[in-house]
Amino acid sequence: MGTRPLEGIRVADFGWIYAVPHATAWLGALGADVIRIETSGAPDLVRFLTGTDGAIGANRSGVFHAINSSRRSLALNLAMPKAQEIARKIIRRSDFVTENFTVGNMAKYNLAYSDLVKIKPDIIMLSGTPLGQDGPFAQTVGFGPTTQAFAGLCHITGYPDSFPCGIGGTWPDFAVGTGMVFFLLAALHYRDRTGQGQYLDLSMAEMVTTMMPEAMMDFLMNGRDQAAIGNRDESMAPHGVFPAAGDDKWIAIAIATDAEFAQLCEALSVPSMASDAKFTRLFGRLANVEELEREIAARTRVHQRDELVAKLRARGLAAGPVYSTPELMKDPVFSESSMLVNLKHGEVGERVVPGLPVRFSEIDLEYRGAPMIGEHTDEVMNELLGYSAEEIARLKEAKVLI
Amino acid sequence: MARFQQYEEPPRALEGLKVVELPSLDTMPFMAASMAAKSFADFGAEVLKVEPPRTGSKERALGPFRDEMPDPETGGLHLYLNTNKLSVTIDVEKPRGRDLIFDLLAPADIVLNPNRPEVNEKAGLDWRTLTTRFPKLIVVSITFFGAESAYKNLRGGDLVATHMSGVGYETPWHQVTDPENQPPLKLGGRQSDYLTGYTAAAAAMCALYSRKSNGAGQHVDVGQWLSTISMIRPNIGFYSHELRDSASFQRLLTRRKTAGQWVFPCKDGWVSFSAGTDRFWRGAKKAMGNPEWMDTELFDTILGRVANIDAIEAGVVDWLSTQTRTEAFEKAQAEHVPCFPVHSPAEVAGNQQYKARKFFIDLDHPAAREVRMPGAPCKFSRTPWRIVRGAPRLGEHNQKILGERLGRSNAELASLAQAGII
Repeated sequence: MGTRPLEGIRVADFGWIYAVPHATAWLGALGADVIRIETSGAPDLVRFLTGTDGAIGANRSGVFHAINSSRRSLALNLAMPKAQEIARKIIRRSDFVTENFTVGNMAKYNLAYSDLVKIKPDIIMLSGTPLGQDGPFAQTVGFGPTTQAFAGLCHITGYPDSFPCGIGGTWPDFAVGTGMVFFLLAALHYRDRTGQGQYLDLSMAEMVTTMMPEAMMDFLMNGRDQAAIGNRDESMAPHGVFPAAGDDKWIAIAIATDAEFAQLCEALSVPSMASDAKFTRLFGRLANVEELEREIAARTRVHQRDELVAKLRARGLAAGPVYSTPELMKDPVFSESSMLVNLKHGEVGERVVPGLPVRFSEIDLEYRGAPMIGEHTDEVMNELLGYSAEEIARLKEAKVLI
Repeated sequence: MARFQQYEEPPRALEGLKVVELPSLDTMPFMAASMAAKSFADFGAEVLKVEPPRTGSKERALGPFRDEMPDPETGGLHLYLNTNKLSVTIDVEKPRGRDLIFDLLAPADIVLNPNRPEVNEKAGLDWRTLTTRFPKLIVVSITFFGAESAYKNLRGGDLVATHMSGVGYETPWHQVTDPENQPPLKLGGRQSDYLTGYTAAAAAMCALYSRKSNGAGQHVDVGQWLSTISMIRPNIGFYSHELRDSASFQRLLTRRKTAGQWVFPCKDGWVSFSAGTDRFWRGAKKAMGNPEWMDTELFDTILGRVANIDAIEAGVVDWLSTQTRTEAFEKAQAEHVPCFPVHSPAEVAGNQQYKARKFFIDLDHPAAREVRMPGAPCKFSRTPWRIVRGAPRLGEHNQKILGERLGRSNAELASLAQAGII
């Protein structure tokens, strides 16, 4: 029998868009009571980013559902003092406060960390922003995909001798959100031992830069400002994406050793290439990388992608198909993996959404479909805060609750 | 003055935790476990980094090296990834080496193992053996494709995981004009390795909380492929919610993405720019000085903008060609529109925002002398991220850990060294 390790932990979650909701989806799946505090003044735009079966609505966004599992939703009008008071009551009963508004917004609602320690001294609060809480550009607005430009990642992503590139997958929101899980639990671990909470100030750009040591250290040690090198690697060749037969079909191949290169040449039916002095050894392959890639591409493009992948894998090589999302969803292993879960959503019913990318032998992950906006307002107001039905009705009438 | 004062360094959040990082035995670099272990070490855990004798771990061989002089003690990746760690050298593939590993694991809380199941089984370090032998230990498998999936013994790595996850297919975003000659692209550096490292660190903390509730350790299965797929969660929502013939769904099938989120050239470089939502569109209009071409109700809704994306992109590019990065950044941000300069690594290192927040840290390293490197991924107010010890020399802590802590005699250590085991 597994555990739900965060049972008893409550999260007052003011997060929106991607990074913080991703982090709190982990916490919710681990058993924490995540109360998503939504505000009518600025509803999560992800609720309207896309719809279900062609119709857009606050409770019909597939993207929202994909990110906001395992939480309750309480809808407040945070601009009103009465609503702020309710938020503070929830925080008084919470362990974590999470938010990723533009710097200063929480203070506007009288919900800055300095306000919160007065009512809950051991609270752990995490703020995630593009560039951090202080510094000359703290006030900037941005999403992950725009912020990574500031952090240096777009500059080193691109084709050789070409332009800097935007990155798919709404990078780096989910990497940052995953990091947030670690930071929050590290702070909780400290609180468990000492009774002391704290404030966590996360700059998305800084976290991205912690993930670029190759380029950053090269500059900091040698003054060399790296440029993009496409799919290549400085210590492996070939290391790239090569065409397969058909339209827009590609195969990724990473060859680390000379022996692996010989295997690759055999699989591509050009064993002679492995004994070509230009290519036998790694330094030769790196020095002649363009020619090497042309030669390989000429031979991969006659193969069906998946057949060639199977052939290379059978020889112990690192190779894989380049998947679009719809192809990924049909991969026989991924489509059966525990990461895909079928959850119920109020307005649209059961839909497949992603769960956690990891498996635990002794934890029962608890997935619940993303909430409709304000779905749990009455429940939280009554069961957690003790408001009567009449009081709740009055607060709704006064537009404190939505 | 300072030296007359009693100064106590603040505590770190994970002090007291014991982590063992096993070496990746794959031929290709795989930095995930090293990144996960760094996260623990920099927040205060004791991390024993087990390295192959003689060669040491892969990052020591990779550089970047100062003045191109290869040296396993002063490579940039080693200096960065191995901060705060203790180094012991053990050949984990030899039975006597494995016995040493068992002794290291007995008092440990967490072990990070970056090898595929068949490699671990051969070495007698598979997760079943470890969880059975050490019931309180948290055994974190960090593999290419998971420890139990049908792909579990396949080799992957940063490139393959990026492209099998769907992230590579969407990169470069919106800039594909010649699909045949512009293949899907991986991200700069080893993003998939590092994000897998953060995933493993988060998952290990979850398991630690599980142990707090029931006292038991467990196996945590972290795969690079699924970790990277976690970066395209919105796409899975599109896939399961949208009609197959909808624009949202069709967008998943093409690499020529269109959306109001761009990386575009300007007068003196490039900027990122987003005008996807109605609010940002209105802000962008103001920032750009309300030009005539923007003044049509065709562009007032997101659907209208998507339908006319070519005209909009042309107009934005046109405006940007008259702006420097700083001008575009300032004008857009003044109207609360997401826009940032594209910085090179050198510009990141010299940037005043990073400077004001003291992001980069300076370290006086015994072998590498003064080195500067990226600092905290998150600022903790009470228990700040901190480097107390630079990256270790290869086997620097063999005597202290294997001798003093495990009680191996000098004669035994000498015999192990002779046999090439340490």
